[in-house]
Amino acid sequence: MGHGGGGHEIGGHKLAHFAGLTFNLDTLYMTWLTMAIVIFLAVIATRRAEIVPRGWQAFLEMVVDALLDQIDNNMGPKGRKLAPFIITLFLFLVVGNQLGLVPGFVSPTNDINTTLGLALLVVIIVHVVGMINQGPVRYLKHFFEPYIPFVIINIVEELAKPITLSFRLFGNILAGEILLIILGMLVPYIIPTAWLAFSVFVGVVQAFIFTILTVSYLSNSLKDEHH
Amino acid sequence: MEQAIIIAASAIGASLAIGLAAIGAALGDGVVTSKAIEGMARQPEAKGTILVNMLISVGLIESIPIIAAVIAIVLVFANPFIK
Repeated sequence: MGHGGGGHEIGGHKLAHFAGLTFNLDTLYMTWLTMAIVIFLAVIATRRAEIVPRGWQAFLEMVVDALLDQIDNNMGPKGRKLAPFIITLFLFLVVGNQLGLVPGFVSPTNDINTTLGLALLVVIIVHVVGMINQGPVRYLKHFFEPYIPFVIINIVEELAKPITLSFRLFGNILAGEILLIILGMLVPYIIPTAWLAFSVFVGVVQAFIFTILTVSYLSNSLKDEHH
Repeated sequence: MEQAIIIAASAIGASLAIGLAAIGAALGDGVVTSKAIEGMARQPEAKGTILVNMLISVGLIESIPIIAAVIAIVLVFANPFIK
């Protein structure tokens, strides 16, 4: 994104050029910071783990239990193998979305590169798991059922999945951050604080929606009875 | 002169985009939430499930209006038509 309106870059990134490619340095730094925070939170919860959890371990167990509940309901017994991926995805997205609300930091998810990368990761995993689970021929045959022309609709749906997944998360987080800057310029102190509080909620909800949609797509590729 | 027309048209386009997106998102979310509250009132034991499904639906419904908001932001702050 190019030049800003108020004399400073809104939506611009610090660039680094390496081996002919361009990297957004601030997104990379924030992604590494998010990874460090997620690892730290998980280690804090599990060192000296107790059977009856107290404190931070209890809170994280609540989150993991809710996610495992959704996974069991939607993906069936085979879903447990993918549960670590889903939980890590959710924790990364929650921490990443909230990181931009700290003054001086930006969210790693306000960059289309991060969200598109995650969405493509999810879509590739969905297809690969489907092919492993049902065999490649039967999995591809599902696109042609119930009638052969349905393959067009199915392909459009498969193309729409990564696009909507990535743009939903990207748009929510970037628009929230830009609005925070603009509100700070227009009506400082009270209204930006209200928007900040709402953005905390939006960050959690968007992370949850990304994760639930991943679970839903995966449940589609894990089922193996004839419908 | 051309730049002025491009800037004016981008401003009108951006406001139209975000205005229509706001109407769409508000109407859609309102319908979903009203039905969800109705369901919760009829069966308070299902409150948790209905709430979770309502939040998921709101997130899905708002995805296209959010994309319209991103287009409006790009037109205002990072206009590709302005040299």
